[in-house]
Amino acid sequence: MAAVAGVNVVAVKVFARASEPSPKPVSFSQVNSPWRRSAGVPLRRMCVAAVPDKLTGKVEESIKAAEEACAGDAVSGECAALWDEVEELSAAASHARDKQKEFDPLETYCKDNPETKECRTYDN
Amino acid sequence: MAVSTVYTVQSLNSTCSISTPSKPFSQKHILFFTTTKRALTRSCRQISCSAEDKTVVIGLAADSGCGKSTFMRRLTSVFGGAAEPPRGGNPDSNTLISDTTTVICLDDYHSLDRTGRKEKGVTALDPKANDFDLMYEQVKALKDGAAVDKPIYNHVSGLLDPPELIKPPKILVIEGLHPMYDERVRHLLDFSIYLDISNEVKFAWKIQRDMAERGHSLESIKASIEARKPDFDAYIDPQKQYADAVIEVLPTQLIPDDNEGKVLRVRLIMKEGVKFFNPVYLFDEGSTIEWIPCGRKLTCSYPGIKFSYGPDTYYGHEVSVLEMDGQFDRLDELIYVESHLSNLSTKFYGEVTQQMLKHSDFPGSNNGTGLFQTIVGLKIRDLFEQIVVSRTAAALEAAKA
Repeated sequence: MAAVAGVNVVAVKVFARASEPSPKPVSFSQVNSPWRRSAGVPLRRMCVAAVPDKLTGKVEESIKAAEEACAGDAVSGECAALWDEVEELSAAASHARDKQKEFDPLETYCKDNPETKECRTYDN
Repeated sequence: MAVSTVYTVQSLNSTCSISTPSKPFSQKHILFFTTTKRALTRSCRQISCSAEDKTVVIGLAADSGCGKSTFMRRLTSVFGGAAEPPRGGNPDSNTLISDTTTVICLDDYHSLDRTGRKEKGVTALDPKANDFDLMYEQVKALKDGAAVDKPIYNHVSGLLDPPELIKPPKILVIEGLHPMYDERVRHLLDFSIYLDISNEVKFAWKIQRDMAERGHSLESIKASIEARKPDFDAYIDPQKQYADAVIEVLPTQLIPDDNEGKVLRVRLIMKEGVKFFNPVYLFDEGSTIEWIPCGRKLTCSYPGIKFSYGPDTYYGHEVSVLEMDGQFDRLDELIYVESHLSNLSTKFYGEVTQQMLKHSDFPGSNNGTGLFQTIVGLKIRDLFEQIVVSRTAAALEAAKA
């Protein structure tokens, strides 16, 4: 019984190592590291494409900065400017997410090289 | 009334194009014909060229996160082709170019970059952060048929990047926060639209957009809206009195105490007396109608659809208001509604439905926002064609005189 259990555990471990390099969907990463799930974000959102690295931290940083500055004086121009920056970055992040969703490597290749074999279309 | 005769253009220096209004819009817009009427050719050569080189300029105003991008995509799709960022240029460019249209984002005319604005304590909504002189100069140049070097505002880095070359298109759309703020720019616009989103709906949309982003919470989204509100009310909101068409989005009245914001009540406010623009109407122009299409011929699911239409005044102007409350669930609801609306400027029966279906993945495709955006897109196409006809006719008159 223990031997069987042992084999099972080993098998799971091997499987874990094998699949680690490739970015795998939710279920497996949840099993391995349940703490990764950020509080307040519903489970289904884990499958959303990651925002490009340039913007990832920026939105969070800007929110923190705005909250700090406005804690003192909520009506100042500086406070408004900081929240405006948060809005701008959130919009940029959302557009970047949309662009990534639409990304299709074949389509982008064919736009630049419509005469190649893979991209030729026949209308009749 | 329609100009259907065509004249030869033999000049090699300028790019002259003559469009025949009877042809479908999607065909190539540069056509060269030869005629044997040489006498007329010589005299109207220059005149027809200058008439055609003038660009039609459309202005679109809305706050950030209010559907400008979706509207742009629908609009460029009505004209045919997909609008894409300029190839080989700055990847963070905000400009979109298709065969017939070029969309310019007015953020490119920020005079202060992000750091500059932080130092001065102004938001992007404040006119002090924008260079209206440059905006006017360049839009005028494009309208007159000259190419410009337009600066680029990089939204990712928050800096002003080196300029990109913009060639004058047939249709120029300027979208952003202040297309109608400056009076000189306002007078360059052939048609202007304002997207007026109510506070509750704006909050709901921003939640949908930002909750997936790490760091955001309900409080931060609320705080961001609140902090920008004074500048928005002072500088952006007043532009709606100048718009030829306003798309107002409000929470639904069909569901009592609805706070989800999924079902929307959308009003299309169309100014009367605008040249080349004939407002859409329901059943009888100028009368007041309330219409619930769901009944014996059409079955709808809860909460159904309700239309109303009537004349009204808006900031001292005479307007016609077409309103839709509810959602489309099925294709036949959409085609049923389309067949009862008049003055849609469609080229064939079912064009509105076809356009909506083409972009069924866009937000608002099942309610009044998508419907009215599509209808305004068709109206703009109609306006463009009428302007071209009138210019060619004017050129003819000048040639004969």
